[in-house]
Amino acid sequence: MGTRIWTWGLLVVFLAGWELACRVTGISELVLPAPTVVFLTLWNGLVSGYLLPHIWLTTVEMLLGLAVGCGIGFVCGIVLGETEFLRRVLYPYVIATQVVPKLALVPLFIVWFGFGMTSTVVITALICFFPLLENTMTGIRHIDPQKRELFRMLGATRLQTLFRLKIPSGLPVILAGLRVAVVLALVGAVVAEFIAGRAGLGAMIIASQGMMDSPLMFALLIVITILGMLFYQATLLVEQWLLRRHLKGESQ
Amino acid sequence: MSFVDIKGATYAYQGGGNGEIVVDRIDWTIAEGEFHCLVGRSGCGKTTLLKVAAGLLTPTEGSVHIQGIRVVEPSAQVGFVFQTPTLLEWQTVLDNILLPISLKRKLEPRDRDKAAELLALVGLTDYAGRYPRELSGGQQSRVAIARALIIEPLVLLLDEPFAALDALTREELQVDLIRLCRHRKTTVLFVTHDIAEAIYLADRVAVMEKGRFRHALTIDLPRPRAHDVRYSTRFNQLCLEVRQAMDGA
Repeated sequence: MGTRIWTWGLLVVFLAGWELACRVTGISELVLPAPTVVFLTLWNGLVSGYLLPHIWLTTVEMLLGLAVGCGIGFVCGIVLGETEFLRRVLYPYVIATQVVPKLALVPLFIVWFGFGMTSTVVITALICFFPLLENTMTGIRHIDPQKRELFRMLGATRLQTLFRLKIPSGLPVILAGLRVAVVLALVGAVVAEFIAGRAGLGAMIIASQGMMDSPLMFALLIVITILGMLFYQATLLVEQWLLRRHLKGESQ
Repeated sequence: MSFVDIKGATYAYQGGGNGEIVVDRIDWTIAEGEFHCLVGRSGCGKTTLLKVAAGLLTPTEGSVHIQGIRVVEPSAQVGFVFQTPTLLEWQTVLDNILLPISLKRKLEPRDRDKAAELLALVGLTDYAGRYPRELSGGQQSRVAIARALIIEPLVLLLDEPFAALDALTREELQVDLIRLCRHRKTTVLFVTHDIAEAIYLADRVAVMEKGRFRHALTIDLPRPRAHDVRYSTRFNQLCLEVRQAMDGA
């Protein structure tokens, strides 16, 4: 509780300092708009409904990309984690696709999928794919050897071992990958919109730059930040729920 | 005919060259319902021998027969208790005990009855719905033993199951283990490095060193063995005998 007061207090001090600096120096709104101006812009944008479709679009793109990327990453992680042969053959290619800066692929995706949602979703999915793949693979491979032997001793089939030992046992690691993916997904969606979007928060940032509307740009940054924090908190809740059994007795 | 029959069992790690021989031409038999202990220092090959007997490892040479049938893979007739309780943290005590059955088929009401009965036998009735991390080390070991017994194995193999427990808890569990195994006339092979533990539990003790059996002795202490047996002269004589065998005297 004590730390929370400090956290919020710090925000108030920061905003007050910012406001004061703007008023005292009389700096141009184009360079650094004062917080009051930014919040007024944000408020107007929300109340007039001007910002809402963009927030909605970015959220949908992010969630779709997250679902597709994480889904494929999880399945591929299991396949590569389970099959030594495939892992050895394919892993260098997986690394290669990850080393390529994915945002540099956006122009290509525009050629393939056109401007708009599809390109953004594809990029977001590509970004989310790797953390899930990596963590799923690690999670299901690093199982206590005695637990493996226990399942062998009990005559468990390969599928039983996967679903009843490896996945539940690797779940904390897999979900840590999901947390990373959520953060990356929002960044991915917004930056992909810079290039490929006609609407959405990323496209709006570029538009506000074109209109030299710095207060709007700041307002958008605040929206993106809040969106990211909300999704992160939601992921933590999902994680806690999925791990509720794992966590039993942990604190004692 | 003996119940468990180990003949010339040899195990070598498949390393470079000839591999290191960990278990070297072991012959041993256990009659039905007997409790045998295997003592030796760390790295003497006792755990490996136990895994060979369980069918978890295939012997390089020789064979293991249980009831005249050759062991080639883990079977439902053999229960195994590991060095650590090895419970699934995300499942309740009851589900952990039922794991061996639920991996084989759908659970039936009588399985739950049997699990409840075992829980009562190990004194954990009130803990059925708890999770392993909520239990003490001794309680976790009890759950692991109950899990091994739920399939009613003919043979129970235990690999230093009490090594991590404090002395008093260990003694309690030793008493419980004897009771449980007598109850079902289970044949037991128990691996330990604790001489007193071996002598208290066993009908026969084998001393292992560098993959070979150095010494074997029959424990003639009468059963049931009360706690004060541990402080009797005969008990100490037997401890000394095992100790001298371990020292190579």
